[in-house]
Amino acid sequence: MSVNLSVTLAGIKLKNPVMPASGTFGAGREFSEFFDVGRLGAIVAKTVTLKPREGNMPPRICETTSGMLNSIGLQNEGLEYFLKHDLPYMRKFKIPIIVNIAGNTLEEYAQICRDLKGIEGVSAIELNISCPNIKAGGIAFGASSRLAEQVTAAARYNTDLPLIVKLTPNVYNISKIARAVVSAGADAVSLINTLVGMSIDINTFKPQLANYTGGLSGPAIKPVAVRMVWEVAQTVNVPIIGIGGIMTAEDAIEFFLAGATAVAIGTANFINPTAMIDIINGIERFLSERGLTDIRQLVGKVRL
Amino acid sequence: MFQVKADVISKEEISPGVFNLTLISPEISRSARPGQFVHVLCGDQNDRFLLRRPFSIHRVVPGRAFEILFQVVGSGTDELSRVKIHDALDVIGPLGNGFKYSPEIKSALLLAGGLGVAPLLFLAEELTENHVMFYAMLGAKTKTELLRYIDFKRLAKKTFAATEDGSFGHDGTVVALLNRTVHQLRPQVIYACGPEKMLQKISETAEDFGIDCQVSVEAKMACGIGACLGCTYATKRGFRLTCKDGPVFNGRDIMWGGSDVEQLPLDGYDYETAEITDSD
Repeated sequence: MSVNLSVTLAGIKLKNPVMPASGTFGAGREFSEFFDVGRLGAIVAKTVTLKPREGNMPPRICETTSGMLNSIGLQNEGLEYFLKHDLPYMRKFKIPIIVNIAGNTLEEYAQICRDLKGIEGVSAIELNISCPNIKAGGIAFGASSRLAEQVTAAARYNTDLPLIVKLTPNVYNISKIARAVVSAGADAVSLINTLVGMSIDINTFKPQLANYTGGLSGPAIKPVAVRMVWEVAQTVNVPIIGIGGIMTAEDAIEFFLAGATAVAIGTANFINPTAMIDIINGIERFLSERGLTDIRQLVGKVRL
Repeated sequence: MFQVKADVISKEEISPGVFNLTLISPEISRSARPGQFVHVLCGDQNDRFLLRRPFSIHRVVPGRAFEILFQVVGSGTDELSRVKIHDALDVIGPLGNGFKYSPEIKSALLLAGGLGVAPLLFLAEELTENHVMFYAMLGAKTKTELLRYIDFKRLAKKTFAATEDGSFGHDGTVVALLNRTVHQLRPQVIYACGPEKMLQKISETAEDFGIDCQVSVEAKMACGIGACLGCTYATKRGFRLTCKDGPVFNGRDIMWGGSDVEQLPLDGYDYETAEITDSD
């Protein structure tokens, strides 16, 4: 029995619901040596900012119990370089390309959205709103529903492309933020970004990361992510991309049951470069073993 | 680069807590160059989440197998020390840029501190095959921690040893030994691997004497293939990836103490925003 894995997300048709999480896959160059990137549902590029960014000081990563901390600091070559070198490269995979963008002001988000207008191969824009808003005293856009709404509206006003907003879990009430971005025009939401954490070397008494704190990812955050996807799924009616510690197909299934239409894989790519292919195959097997024919038969089907 | 399931065909504890593993992989052993590394999955991921661990390629059996040398220092190496012969390990490699050398080199000096012998023995074997004359200098805290002395002695024109407690060879550090002997040996190029402080001092000496100096460094790594940008090393030309641009760098290019935040120039780095950015 054939299984239908295709889903529609913010108007984009994906042949399967599995994609990389932004920042864990670059533009796919490194991974293309391990598998056919064209087999993925979509490709999500590493966050691009208007101007190039050096990123944070090393050490930038540290392993923790069942996870890892990172503070890369959005190192990237800037939008101009991205459009000239990375985007043309990603186009050859012939799958939808989701461009993840970030800025330190509303104007920067707006500018990038304008610059992406009419560019061939961009299927959707994902807003990384975990960055600090310089004009609002450095509070992350995603940490306040007012700021999240503003940044989404600024992007919405400047693009006709499908708009995905990636939510940060470092908030008291993520449903409230989700509601705000959807009312401002988001076509989909992705969650969760990393949880802010810290780790200290007890031999040197120094933080493990030069940046002191970093984003926690990996299996450690999965239950938090599943809970947040489930809460947001109760609140808004746009598709959700579930992210957070997915290592296996079974992990991904949990997210579908909680209400995600698609999933993004991050840290697992570092452990096993072919993790996403294993997950796609595993989802297909899970469905056919249970006599299910369509991935949509799982979405939001948690029995309460 | 390849991702393979490599069978462990031998495992030896060559010194307390220091293991040598031989892994079968025709693909990796055929294309490996001295100074390159492999990224190894340690332990069973179902039991415990562990990132891969990078290890220098210690030696190759051409077209058949390669060896890694490691000391148990944490959870990854602890898991790895428990593998049994005939277990298969998930390995990605060969990765990174190795040591640069040409048959025209008249004389080289290989300098290792402790586990730093790991990439240098492979290099020593390659240099021997290419008829490049070289000296070796090995340093350790004590005689028991002095690794691969016999192997280098077999290959190098002359092999020096230095122990910090004086239990074998010269009394003192390998850096002190270098500073005493460099004007006599006059190598064209120095290849070094060991603790960062040692590499820094060797690079300074090399620069004083106008000797080309290539050092193999280490950094915490996640993906190992250049995607995550986690293993950056501060160089005078900006951040470089240890996994992709390194692990071998020219000693002159490295901004020593780069991982020590306080010592770095502040211009060019966006501290204010960096501290609150939580991801990617």
